Amino acid sequence: MTLYHIMKIKKYVNHAILYSLLILFGITMVFPFLWMLSTSLKDPSQVFTASLQLIPDPIVWKNYAEAWEAIPFGRFYMNSVAVALAVTLGQVLTSSMAAYAFSRLKFPGRDSIFLGYLATMMIPGMVVTIPVFILLKSLGWLDSYKALILPGVFSAYGTFMLRQFFMTLPADLEDAAKIDGCSLWRIYWQIILPLSKPALSTLAMFTFLGNWQSFFWPLVVTSSESMKTLPIGLSYFQDIYTTEWTLLMAGSIIVLVPALLVFILNQKFITQGIALTGLKG
Amino acid sequence: MARVILQNVWKRFGDAEIVKDFSLEVPDKEFCVLVGPSGCGKSTTLRMVAGLEEVTAGDIIIGDRRVNDLPPKDRDIAMVFQNYALYPHMTVYENMAFGLKLKKFSDPEISMRVKEAAEILGIAHLLDRKPKQLSGGQRQRVAVGRAIVRKPKVFLFDEPLSNLDAKLRVQMRAELKKMHERLQSTIIYVTHDQTEAMTMGDRICIMKDGSIQQVDNPLSVYEKPDNRFVGGFIGSPPMNFMEAEVIVRGEECFLNEGMFEIAVRRRYKDNVMPYVNKKLILGIRPEDIHDKLSFTLNLKEGNVMSGMVDVVEPLGSEIFLHVNTGKNEIICRVDAHSKVQPNNIIELVVDTRKIHLFEAETGCSILQ
Amino acid sequence: MSWVHNEAFVGYCFIMPNLVGFLAFTLLPVLASLIVSFTSWDLLSPPRFVGFKNFIDIFGFSLIPEAALASWTDYLFVWQYLTPKDPGFWQYLYNTAFLMLGIPFGMICSLFIAIVMNRKLRGIMFFRTIYFLPSISSLVAVALLWRWIYNPDYGLLNALLGFIGIQGPSWLTHPLWAKISLILMGLWSGVGGTNMLLYLAALQGIPQHLYEAADIDGANALHKFMHITIPMLSPTSFFIFIMSVIGGFQGGFQSAYLMTRGGPGGATTTLEYYIYNNAFKWFSMGKASALAWFLFLVILLVTMVNWKYGGKKVHYQYI
Repeated sequence: MTLYHIMKIKKYVNHAILYSLLILFGITMVFPFLWMLSTSLKDPSQVFTASLQLIPDPIVWKNYAEAWEAIPFGRFYMNSVAVALAVTLGQVLTSSMAAYAFSRLKFPGRDSIFLGYLATMMIPGMVVTIPVFILLKSLGWLDSYKALILPGVFSAYGTFMLRQFFMTLPADLEDAAKIDGCSLWRIYWQIILPLSKPALSTLAMFTFLGNWQSFFWPLVVTSSESMKTLPIGLSYFQDIYTTEWTLLMAGSIIVLVPALLVFILNQKFITQGIALTGLKG
Repeated sequence: MARVILQNVWKRFGDAEIVKDFSLEVPDKEFCVLVGPSGCGKSTTLRMVAGLEEVTAGDIIIGDRRVNDLPPKDRDIAMVFQNYALYPHMTVYENMAFGLKLKKFSDPEISMRVKEAAEILGIAHLLDRKPKQLSGGQRQRVAVGRAIVRKPKVFLFDEPLSNLDAKLRVQMRAELKKMHERLQSTIIYVTHDQTEAMTMGDRICIMKDGSIQQVDNPLSVYEKPDNRFVGGFIGSPPMNFMEAEVIVRGEECFLNEGMFEIAVRRRYKDNVMPYVNKKLILGIRPEDIHDKLSFTLNLKEGNVMSGMVDVVEPLGSEIFLHVNTGKNEIICRVDAHSKVQPNNIIELVVDTRKIHLFEAETGCSILQ
Repeated sequence: MSWVHNEAFVGYCFIMPNLVGFLAFTLLPVLASLIVSFTSWDLLSPPRFVGFKNFIDIFGFSLIPEAALASWTDYLFVWQYLTPKDPGFWQYLYNTAFLMLGIPFGMICSLFIAIVMNRKLRGIMFFRTIYFLPSISSLVAVALLWRWIYNPDYGLLNALLGFIGIQGPSWLTHPLWAKISLILMGLWSGVGGTNMLLYLAALQGIPQHLYEAADIDGANALHKFMHITIPMLSPTSFFIFIMSVIGGFQGGFQSAYLMTRGGPGGATTTLEYYIYNNAFKWFSMGKASALAWFLFLVILLVTMVNWKYGGKKVHYQYI
């Protein structure tokens, strides 16, 4: 056997070990989901059989219909989409405007205001949550879209992240634009924003995801069924149908699948965004 | 009518004085180069002309208008940046058309101007590309094109060639010069590269620490530097400087370096006499120091120095020698076919017509 | 200088929308919360200023009734006769700290996965997607799934343990196992997610020539891992650790709420949960605010200590 062969065998063994690890981990990650899917398609009587029967017999599709009927999932979906979209749009717009001013324009008090933004980033959400709740309550805004959307729109983090990104754009471009006759507003709109697409879409994506999964705040401010977002709705569903596992699993699948599909389609973008903002943000 | 006048212009950032009492008149159609080491305030000066920086004090006049308070777009200028500053999200055409669009030119007019400029610069085939798809030289041309289409009164160039490789830089140098002749426009050009300044400028303005050191045409600046800084900055390899004491012996005046003496020509005698027995800074350009063996002009005893060769740098067309005189390390240029080797002892002759003398303290030339 | 003034004006215009929101929903609430923490307020009657009462109620101790304190030794060892005014707070603080034990395990697992992911194996993107799935799944669904898995009689976990002859515990109803259950679920849903990606990005940022230089120096794989990989990753590890600790102190509500409702007997109630209960279940806004401020100060302290002492061990990548 030559050295070449030994190296080759070593490589195969190496790969075999790596793949076994990957697959073992993969099963740990996926099997619970499969189990969920399987349970959601079982007849309630078969749920408690201790055997690990993965493929249900018979397959009970009507669990999904029943779950969908049980609570207004459609309404919850709509609420979640509307709230997440509104917060995302508002945040990207206001944060990018503020970030442009903080990174590129000179005005008295700029740095102290920005320092104020930075200082609040470390404050736990709980500190802010209670007074904001009281504020919204006194305005009579609880249990409304305003309560779900407004507090999420104004983000110090988004402003900070975009400011850091804008700082990396070459200043020459703005000088060139000034000489070309751009107003400051036009520089923001036609130079800065188009050049910041990666950062803007990363921020938009995280804001959207964060709001989509947000639990605490909607739990606190919503009370009527028509205002619940998807996570709250699902949790509410679990409170009502405590032990009807087939329905609960079907409901969870209804909630999970669209989100997972969106993720898988955008996963490259999302994972890159995490690496980008996690290290630089 | 597009002269540019700067009158007693100052620029301060807090306590730092970046530009100090800068006065310069650039007449119509002149190619004027601002040159100096980095941090000398040349770019700031240019940016004040452009309107990108505020003027702390003084006046800037373009044409017949005082433009201190005008935004850049109303100054009728165009600027080419060091990093080209092309908008990455626009095509070449859009880059060049952007300024015209903002000025509300008609589409046919824009298209005509862009195509015309693209023809001149030989980038007509690149109009649909994005800057990312262009080479450095092509980007440079687009940046120039963006300036040309505006048909401005004054072009401002901020180190436009420093990001190009050496070969391309030589080529673009010539092209910019050609363009200037063709467009007959006023140009203010900032660079830190003295070769660029010498080859391109009708006049050169040398700056240091925010102040003008000398303004003149390239040859005068080279041959008659006003001070030690200018002498050292212009020319490559740089002028050799050494301390020398002025000695009078009979009718004649000498400069004593310590290891050798140089006779002062009669026409400089009056300039030198006030410094008898004092130190002066003697400046000699490398090409004015010759190998004694190949120097045939009327030779005077006493203008010869000898030294040990440290380094030999053959360039093909000439050879630079680094010679240690025992007190100073000097550089001289000798014939390409010289057989000098390192560690040789060499005898060198100074062309005394070409020497420069500066006051030791102020660095001012005493020959002008 | 009209156009220069213009820049300042435009600047204020640009920050205005964000700044108004920032003031209304962040800065003023922070100050308000500090004030509220010195009041007693149930949102029904007007707030009453009570000084430090909320803080004393939380952190204070009182003498047990039967303490006689007769001799001077009794005074010296007075702590024996003290009992916390709010035993729940200390328990929840302990719970919060206990749940953070998962952080180092999570970091090690994430690093391990990242190292495998960094090998250019075929199909690696597929595995990466799979590992990432739990972290972007709705926690409400995941919690339900795990409640089902942890079910002592019919759950997947005890069924699997049964196969190898182990009688599994009643996971979510035992005070200790309930905490461990939450940690395990957290590990499962987190290891393949953000932290793994951060490690992966950091691994890809280590210049290859360092490993080549080590090869020439005769280093084996373990040497390289210990002397190149670990030190070069330390900024990332430091970052992840601080963020996890900060997150850990102010977290734990959602999974506990969904899995155990903070039980059994408060065994999985964290500080965040306790604040929630105070504020939105019992409507004692003053005490909730005081707790929130305590949390803030702890986080501030942890961050500062981390930066001061952790920062020195961190090896920053040279340029």
